[in-house]
Amino acid sequence: MGIDDRKLDQIRGERSELENHYIDELVAGRLDRRTFLRRGAVMGMSASVMGAILAACGSANSTNKSSAAQSATNPSSSGAGVTKGGTLKLASTTPATAINPLLIDDAGGLCLIAQTGEFLTFDNNITLQLQPMLATSWKHNGDGTVWTFKLRSGVKFHNGQPMTADDVVYTFQQLSDPKNASNALSTFAGVLKPAGVRAVDSGTVAFHLEAANGNFPYIISSDNYNAIIVPKGTDFGSWDKTFIGTGPFKLSSYSQGTGANFIANPDYWGGKPNLDGTAFSFYTTQQPQILALQGGTVDVIVQFVPSGAQALLNNASQYSIIKLKSSNHRELSMRNDQAPFTDARVRQAVAYSLNRPALVSTLLLGYGVIGNDNPFAPLYPSENTSVPQRAQNIAKAKALLSAAGHGSGFSVQMDTEEYEEIPELAQLIQADAKEIGVDIKLNVETQANYYGKATFGNSDWLDATMSLVDYGDRGVPNVFLESPLVTGGPWNAAHFNNKTYDSLVKQYVAAVDLQSQKQIAGKIETLLLAETPLIIPYFIDGLTASKPTVHGLNPTSLSAIFLKDAYITT
Amino acid sequence: MQLTLFILKRIGFGIITLFLLSIIVFAAAQILPGDPARAILGPLAAPSAVKALSKQLGTNKPVIDQYGTWIGHLVRGNFGTSYQYQSAIGPILGKALVKSLELAALAFVIVVPLGIIGGVVAALNYGKPLDRIISVFGLTATVIPEVVSGVTLILVFGLWLNILPIQASGASGFGDTIYHLIMPAIPLVLILFGYIEQMARAGTIEALNSDYARTATLKGLPRGVMIRRHVLRNSLLPTITVIASQTGYLIGGLVLVETLFRWNGIGMLLFNAAKDKDFPMLEAGVLTIGAVYVVATLIADTSFSLLNPRIRYRGVE
Repeated sequence: MGIDDRKLDQIRGERSELENHYIDELVAGRLDRRTFLRRGAVMGMSASVMGAILAACGSANSTNKSSAAQSATNPSSSGAGVTKGGTLKLASTTPATAINPLLIDDAGGLCLIAQTGEFLTFDNNITLQLQPMLATSWKHNGDGTVWTFKLRSGVKFHNGQPMTADDVVYTFQQLSDPKNASNALSTFAGVLKPAGVRAVDSGTVAFHLEAANGNFPYIISSDNYNAIIVPKGTDFGSWDKTFIGTGPFKLSSYSQGTGANFIANPDYWGGKPNLDGTAFSFYTTQQPQILALQGGTVDVIVQFVPSGAQALLNNASQYSIIKLKSSNHRELSMRNDQAPFTDARVRQAVAYSLNRPALVSTLLLGYGVIGNDNPFAPLYPSENTSVPQRAQNIAKAKALLSAAGHGSGFSVQMDTEEYEEIPELAQLIQADAKEIGVDIKLNVETQANYYGKATFGNSDWLDATMSLVDYGDRGVPNVFLESPLVTGGPWNAAHFNNKTYDSLVKQYVAAVDLQSQKQIAGKIETLLLAETPLIIPYFIDGLTASKPTVHGLNPTSLSAIFLKDAYITT
Repeated sequence: MQLTLFILKRIGFGIITLFLLSIIVFAAAQILPGDPARAILGPLAAPSAVKALSKQLGTNKPVIDQYGTWIGHLVRGNFGTSYQYQSAIGPILGKALVKSLELAALAFVIVVPLGIIGGVVAALNYGKPLDRIISVFGLTATVIPEVVSGVTLILVFGLWLNILPIQASGASGFGDTIYHLIMPAIPLVLILFGYIEQMARAGTIEALNSDYARTATLKGLPRGVMIRRHVLRNSLLPTITVIASQTGYLIGGLVLVETLFRWNGIGMLLFNAAKDKDFPMLEAGVLTIGAVYVVATLIADTSFSLLNPRIRYRGVE
């Protein structure tokens, strides 16, 4: 396990300062190999360079292991045991709206656009690595304010037209233009304006950011589901007539509310996919999807949640279940500006009343991880695990309440939504809080009523004294750290107002190296435990189910699924 | 002649009904929470994005203007554009209506004869065990929620016995469509059987106890002839009304059955339109169901008046 200094020095000479920093961290043992691979990919180091570094560090074995893990999910098309042909039948959620890449926000819609569309980078949720997709490499200018992406050559849109930098510039200018109703605007706010997207040459695009951002390659990755690359001049409103993209499958037919069929793209840059085609059937709820898989009508359920899926999870031997770590979670906010929650001790008391492991086992059937009231999900490399996990402590909770002058408890209303397991979670929180004398009255509303206009003063979500809401998965914690928690954030239902926190988040977002991110994350986690503006009881795993004869699926915890390498055996 | 006048008058009333219905739906839609642009973009979209989309959709205009635009399109035979789906409503609604009608028709074809036979048999055995059995079964079946009977059917016939398809969609051809629709139709048959059976039973009992039935029996008419000629015809009148009154439910109220069996009828479409405040779609959908209902009651009233001339004359006096 010796380190090959000569080889390593050779590599170091060609790497940037920041990349060398990661190499130092790896050599010193402060970075594990997986985290090194993830962070290195974000910085734009290629797999071969990282492989050489790991090999020079005496980690040749683990390099092989990691490439083996990758080939398990991405079997090469010529690999043994891969069966060619056939049509894969999938059950997915009915798209809620027209399929407009600029506007879609729902699971059904984002799953569909990613069938034919591709991103600059791909956040592989199975290997937990950022991979090149339409960009082959990327680098930043040293402080993370300008990121430059080299585009893959030889990529053609489904109409035969080659993809160039102009198409990429057009796509991102449309996505970041405040005049458009783009759903990516909340992601690009404070990060990117249309004028910041510039073609360097026909195969290179530079993003000039509004502020330094160490995680930018994630922000334009498959995590930002609106960001599929379309030809310059595309009318997004009529995109659903063609589904034009660069992906491994082309649209065969799309029937609103019913389903969509795709056929293999023989000209795909990564080689023709194994399958002849795919057939998506849309379902509005989960139960019929489970019945359809049981009855053999479909081969795959793209995404499901544990609650109500006992039939699959309790018979796991009959189905292949793919479990993905995700940052999908629930937030219980307490109005920091309204009695009785103006006192941090009261907010802490509620947090101490919760039996988190019981919530995960009861509501998620174990398919989740307990939370520590901060948005650093365990899948984020920047999570600082040195901050202690909060556990149920009724005596401490009662003492905190007494100290805050609420020794005899109080009554409060919690507003929440009818969505997945949330009503049951609200009831369990109510029961736990009762043990410390806090009497919570539940107001469970339809999602439309609960979200209202989603602006302050017009939304139970944002206005309620206690509010329990769902947050979907994101590849980086930036959005979770900003919108619901920074002073004046658009989703700040807790009305949290803390200058120290605001400045820590700014530092975190701007930090480009993992060590500083981790260090700032530790400070944020500690501050959030002390202040407890909101409670994050758990993070929920993403689940995909298939017949055991289906292989090579690559789902994301955002409910998309990539099928280039999928195949069916008999 | 009188019948034509009767029908014309009913059509006139039908149009007024539909117009009033459009205003009621319009007013009700204003009370619904939510915002179309917000519904499309999701709760987490930037406020500027929502504002931009509202402008594109025209939902930032005063509601009266929105109604005016919509009704203006409608009188020119155009249902307008769905906010949610960003495409013409006509074809979407048309497809869903055909699906709903297919399922409703099959359910009717099964339940109407069954219900009438059940009711008449129960009435003829009035007070006997057979009457009790039929009536108790009918009432019990009526209160079983569609989703419970639906899931049970899927488990038994779809998964366990594996003789019926789990999903209604995906059929091709007439026979295959019926085969695929049997399971979704059964929950509806169960729900409607009780209503129709009870009405047919009550009508038959009333007719059996009427003076004319007694006279017919006393003048020595054989029981079979008496029932066929005098009782059945009269007992069917209230039954027809009940059947017609269920068309609204059968066409537009099947959200659960449509969801469970993946049959994209009008119920689901309307449910989503209301949920997402897709006002043009909601108006168009409700009016379509209203129109089907008006036609169904018109047919019912016409057959009613054919069976019972007294109604005909009252209608035009």
